Amino acid sequence: MKHNGPFAVAFLLVFAIFMLAPIVVVIGVAFTPTGFLEFPPSGLSLRWFRAILDNPDFMHAAWVSLKLALVAATVATAFAVPAALAIGRGSFRGREVVQSLLMSPLMIPTVVLGIAFLRFLTVMGLNGTFFGLMLCHTVIVTPFILRLVLASVVGLDKSAERAAISMGASDWTVFRRITLPTILPGVVGGWVLAFITSFDELTVTVFITNPSTTTLPVRLFSYIAQTTDPLVASVSTVAILFTVVLMVVVDRLYGLDRLLIGEGKR
Amino acid sequence: MAFLELDRLTKRFGMITAVDTLSFSVDRGSFVSLLGPSGCGKTTTLQMIAGFEDVTSGRIMLNGRNLSAVPARERGLGIVFQTYALFLHMTVAENVAFGLEMRKIDKPERARRVKAALELVHLSHLADRYPRAMSGGQRQRVALARALVIEPELLLLDEPLSNLDAKLREEMQLELRRIQREAGVTTLLVTHDQSEAMALSDRVVVMEKGRLQQEADPFEVYDRPKTSFVSGFLGKSNSLRAEMGRDGRLRCAERVLTGPAAGLMPGAVEIALRPERIEVVDAASGIVSGCVTEKVFLGNQWLLRVATPLGDMIVLRRNAGRNEAGIGDTVGLTWNPEHLRILPAEGAA
Ligand SMILES: Nc1ncnc2c1ncn2[C@@H]1O[C@H](COP(=O)(O)OP(=O)(O)O)[C@@H](O)[C@H]1O
Ligand SMILES: [Mg+2]
Repeated sequence: MKHNGPFAVAFLLVFAIFMLAPIVVVIGVAFTPTGFLEFPPSGLSLRWFRAILDNPDFMHAAWVSLKLALVAATVATAFAVPAALAIGRGSFRGREVVQSLLMSPLMIPTVVLGIAFLRFLTVMGLNGTFFGLMLCHTVIVTPFILRLVLASVVGLDKSAERAAISMGASDWTVFRRITLPTILPGVVGGWVLAFITSFDELTVTVFITNPSTTTLPVRLFSYIAQTTDPLVASVSTVAILFTVVLMVVVDRLYGLDRLLIGEGKR
Repeated sequence: MAFLELDRLTKRFGMITAVDTLSFSVDRGSFVSLLGPSGCGKTTTLQMIAGFEDVTSGRIMLNGRNLSAVPARERGLGIVFQTYALFLHMTVAENVAFGLEMRKIDKPERARRVKAALELVHLSHLADRYPRAMSGGQRQRVALARALVIEPELLLLDEPLSNLDAKLREEMQLELRRIQREAGVTTLLVTHDQSEAMALSDRVVVMEKGRLQQEADPFEVYDRPKTSFVSGFLGKSNSLRAEMGRDGRLRCAERVLTGPAAGLMPGAVEIALRPERIEVVDAASGIVSGCVTEKVFLGNQWLLRVATPLGDMIVLRRNAGRNEAGIGDTVGLTWNPEHLRILPAEGAA
């Protein structure tokens, strides 16, 4: 590995501080024993973490977010994997069109997307339902999975599949035993990215939730609008912790760099 | 009837004719090479036999059975791809076992056959390795073991040695021949390397631009090429433009040459003469004489380039422990007229 010059080191340091400072502040504030946002905290207390458990609104919102992220990421994966296989190696007409369509949620401003979803769900009579929310989140997270899976599909060696076929494997066996294991890092990476994206989504979700389907980001957002006590900090801390744990688990299983940067050369 | 028979096989990709009315056959138990320059349609031919490429027209018969209606997975062929195509997420043993698993062979029998296949390719000690952690030559052997373990009727090899360095390639050529003989499997090898084709095979099928050029045993293909393409593609050859007169005499650069007995239709012809069949004598006593313009030492032999009235000719002399004529010397060249090959002029065929 090449050594970085002093200028580069300084730049990275400033960048890291800039990125980490807000997180450090939030976590610090969460441990305050007082009733207001203070940093650094004047003592260490788990008071505001206990408060989460006593707050049914937050507990419910967290549960909705968790369920939503799980379902949306999984459904989107089930769509994105066959789509990526078709787009990545097919040569059918309209391939680019299908790809652009599936990637479009990334290009459209989220506010526009939110309003569009609101109209759509209202027309369909699904506004405020968990199912409607799930549909919208699936659309939003699909591009993330598609991009990662597509990257691993493009590097796929067709002859390995042909070898399996020549040995008598059926199409389904080839997919399950050869294709899927080969693109699995992309699939798992895409799923995790999709999960985090959904769990974190606010701008679109604000438009399409009602009190019974409020997600955690929406609940936090509306809570801050009314009160500012350290509860928001402790909830955020738990969410951060949750994300970090997820990342660590994935890193142990597959290696984060491989997952986010794409697999290195064989 | 031959074991594998290709009958006027043709494949078109849009405007390109990749394989053009190609017919040849492979006898049971033999080792046949499909030889030709890159892009001549070898892989396409192999893929059609394997069932991965549709046939535009023509027929493939294997053991008396027409393959056109048989899907790839039911053809029961062993295939080694140029890129080896190993399953990277499986160990060597799992790779080799895959085909047996697909054939629903029970575990003990599977283990026995995997072991035997790995022994055949001398890889028993690496059964639990992953392909990523192996060298090119070792991967090559895994691919072979995986193709052979299902005891295929026919083994197809697509340039299996072209990714190996020169020394390893020579070793693997011998290995490949040994393995093929021990397994007794009918083998069709695709290669662009003429020395590989000659060293390995019982018969060589030379093709160019999708068309068959010659099908014969290696000695005959080398010694009695049918076309100037074959003569030039296999080893070094001197190619001289000449004219076959109505009087049956062979004229080259206004000289009359004595040719082999068999005549050809009058008209433009090409004379092919292997450089190792030419003798170097003193200037006065040769069939032609000329000036040495280039001299290359190849270890076991010398390569001389001589400018003669017939054209530039290359000569290969065995290194007999003494120096040969030097650059600028005038030498005579002579040969046995029986060694001249009279071929249809290029383009006329
Ligand atoms: N899928 C394809 N589509 C269009 N042309 C192809 C395709 N596959 C091969 N070809 C063409 O057919 C010819 C023969 O190719 P190939 O069989 O791969 O040659 P070889 O294996 O002898 O190098 C080439 O001109 C190649 O460009
Ligand atoms: Mg090829």
